[in-house]
Amino acid sequence: MLAIINARLETISHGIIEDGQILMEGGIIKALGTELEIPEDAQIINAEGRTVTPGIIEPHTHIGISEQGVGWEGNDTNESTNPITPWCQAIDGVNMLDDAFQDFREAGITTVNILPGSSNIIGGTSVAVKCKQTTIVDDVVILNPSGMKASLGENPKRPYAAKPKTPSTRMGSAALLREALIKARQYLEKQNQVKSEKDLPKFDKESEALIPVIKGEIPLRIHCHRADDIVTAIRICKEFDLQYTLEHVTDGYLLVDFLKENAGHYAIGPTMHYGSKVENKDRDFRTPVYLSQAEVDFTLTTDHPVVAGQYLILTAGLAVSWGMKRDAALKSITLTAAEHIGIQSRVGSLEVGKDADLVIWSDDPLDFTTFADITIIDGQIVFTREVE
Amino acid sequence: MLLIKGAKIYPVIGSILDPGMILINDLGKIEAIGSTIDAPNAEIVDYTGKVILPGLIDAHSHIGIWGDGEGKAGYDGNEIPEPIVGKVNALDSVNPFQRSFAGAREGGITTVQILPGSGNPIGGLGFSCKTAGIIIDDMVIKNPTGLKGALGENPKRLHGKEFKHSPSTRMGTAALIRDYFQNAREYMIKKDEAKTRGEYFEIDLNLEPAYLVLKGEIPFRVHAHRHDDIVTAIRLCEEFGINYSIEHCTDGHLIAEFLGNKGAVAHVGPGLSSRGKVETANFTDRNPAILAKHGVKVCLMTDHPFLNCRHFLAYGAVAYKHGLSFDDTLKAMTINPAESLGIADRVGSLEPTKDADFIVLNGEPFTYTSVIEKTFIEGKLVWKRPVF
Repeated sequence: MLAIINARLETISHGIIEDGQILMEGGIIKALGTELEIPEDAQIINAEGRTVTPGIIEPHTHIGISEQGVGWEGNDTNESTNPITPWCQAIDGVNMLDDAFQDFREAGITTVNILPGSSNIIGGTSVAVKCKQTTIVDDVVILNPSGMKASLGENPKRPYAAKPKTPSTRMGSAALLREALIKARQYLEKQNQVKSEKDLPKFDKESEALIPVIKGEIPLRIHCHRADDIVTAIRICKEFDLQYTLEHVTDGYLLVDFLKENAGHYAIGPTMHYGSKVENKDRDFRTPVYLSQAEVDFTLTTDHPVVAGQYLILTAGLAVSWGMKRDAALKSITLTAAEHIGIQSRVGSLEVGKDADLVIWSDDPLDFTTFADITIIDGQIVFTREVE
Repeated sequence: MLLIKGAKIYPVIGSILDPGMILINDLGKIEAIGSTIDAPNAEIVDYTGKVILPGLIDAHSHIGIWGDGEGKAGYDGNEIPEPIVGKVNALDSVNPFQRSFAGAREGGITTVQILPGSGNPIGGLGFSCKTAGIIIDDMVIKNPTGLKGALGENPKRLHGKEFKHSPSTRMGTAALIRDYFQNAREYMIKKDEAKTRGEYFEIDLNLEPAYLVLKGEIPFRVHAHRHDDIVTAIRLCEEFGINYSIEHCTDGHLIAEFLGNKGAVAHVGPGLSSRGKVETANFTDRNPAILAKHGVKVCLMTDHPFLNCRHFLAYGAVAYKHGLSFDDTLKAMTINPAESLGIADRVGSLEPTKDADFIVLNGEPFTYTSVIEKTFIEGKLVWKRPVF
């Protein structure tokens, strides 16, 4: 059992508890409040008035599949030999020994969603994992698959146009996506119609992998920067009545009403990056600020390693300096991020019954000079800052 | 005449004025700075409650030459495929209308050094300029301010791997640089002799920059991330008795004592990095603090676009957070780069006769609650924070 006392608990879901305590057992938050009875055998951390928040959640990363400081050998982000590869699973490329996991723990990031890259129209399934120190990714999975990666805009047309092979245009990309979805839908219909197993359609790995998407069991997570790519993404998802999330949403500031109307899940970022492509040339903090002003929920992302994930909190701080409300910014990288991934029943806020993933901060978590002093995942201390 | 009053002023050289006054003449120069200035005819601007810093100086940037938001059409940073291109000057690639200049002004950067990329062992000349204007020649402060060189992964990847010619190894890169300066030394002797005798001398444009370096007129600015690359850079420079700055200096923290003993100047950055390459695997936010502690002259730099120059002050905040003192952080973004670039007579601090380049913040720097509200170059407002 682990307990934190004398803490300012920012629960995210239920306001702030001053001078609070939190009790963890079996990796779960057992109790939190101001007058808890702390069992004698519990290990006690005295927060001395410091702020405790839920662990930070990064909703869109390539950690472990695009390894830091390794180069080509550690880059397993894009299976760009075929524009449609739904059968690929990010989990099969994740190296938990990527140094970045340690950086994330030090930054107070406890959960990440790992997606394949955006070179393919359909790239494969994503996986959500805890940032624990382990060599076995399967032991730290929180949700797998957590979605199916898809991509529109410049990235998927770039590798194939050079080969040459379709897609070479945006309309080609949309057509390929539609084609794969139609095929999978028909495949599923055939499967549902047959009376005996011998009549089942011939196994098709592509359509098979897309069945959870067609059924709405997992979201299609669509890479889109430019305004028209955002609109195309939603057009296609509506045609097939899919669950979806939009990833990047760089031009979101141009589509505030449209995004509000569609009430989807939006991961915005990497906002600190430069205009690396024409499709993200207007990238800045307008999108998070405009959307928050319109009360559209969204989460922020670094797209690690495009911007190193440990600067997610800095990104949120910058969003505040540009006009986003401080509490909304903190919520966007905790509870809203959990909702984006679909794991809000487990993580994202300090609530009884949720995973004991939390951070003790040296000061206001969003301030530029604040450190994560202690990071806890599943009730275990995974990082303690050494004070020089 | 313009009299700025009311604000807390960090002049960087000289003591903090709280509040202080700055008198700016019609040429955009600082006429006087102090607690009180008597200037009955001056137009008065009251910045009570604000904080004023000198305009920030980015010691190493590729703004205007690296396709920010322009895609491939705007990539003009590395003149390939020849590995030794002393004859080029970044000045001739710069697009002052590129959005990165606006980004620099937004980020409080009023002066930059723009250098060619690091694809070539000898990459060409760099220069320093202001960040506002439409004709680059009118923006120049000093040209050239250095000759760019590069060690490590970039030149051997570009030339050895892609073009299948030398250099393909680190030793090959060093050998080419050595060759170049050896040739230049002979060239210098011949040129000087011809000059003494008043004889005709055939100019070799590719060797002219090395002539300036050998004469001590400009430093050799050597891209080096890995510790042994840094050591090689110093070895080469000592062989030829030339002045140098270490560009990036990512592993500097591993050899800080060595660098301190050499009295090295390091342009440290890009900050907030994700260790994209093997040679950046040891990247740490503590690097500027460790280097400064050992007596290295630290200048922060964005390497824009690799750290978006809009976020230069956030990089300062992170360096400060990780142990660089407040004063040293300010110096590393103002007077230190001004001295390294040889332009401290004009910029880098708020002192009489210097250019009136400054930024106005709504509070102390390095927190998320304070932001740059205005950027001034030579007394003129060049950026004002938009209200979203």
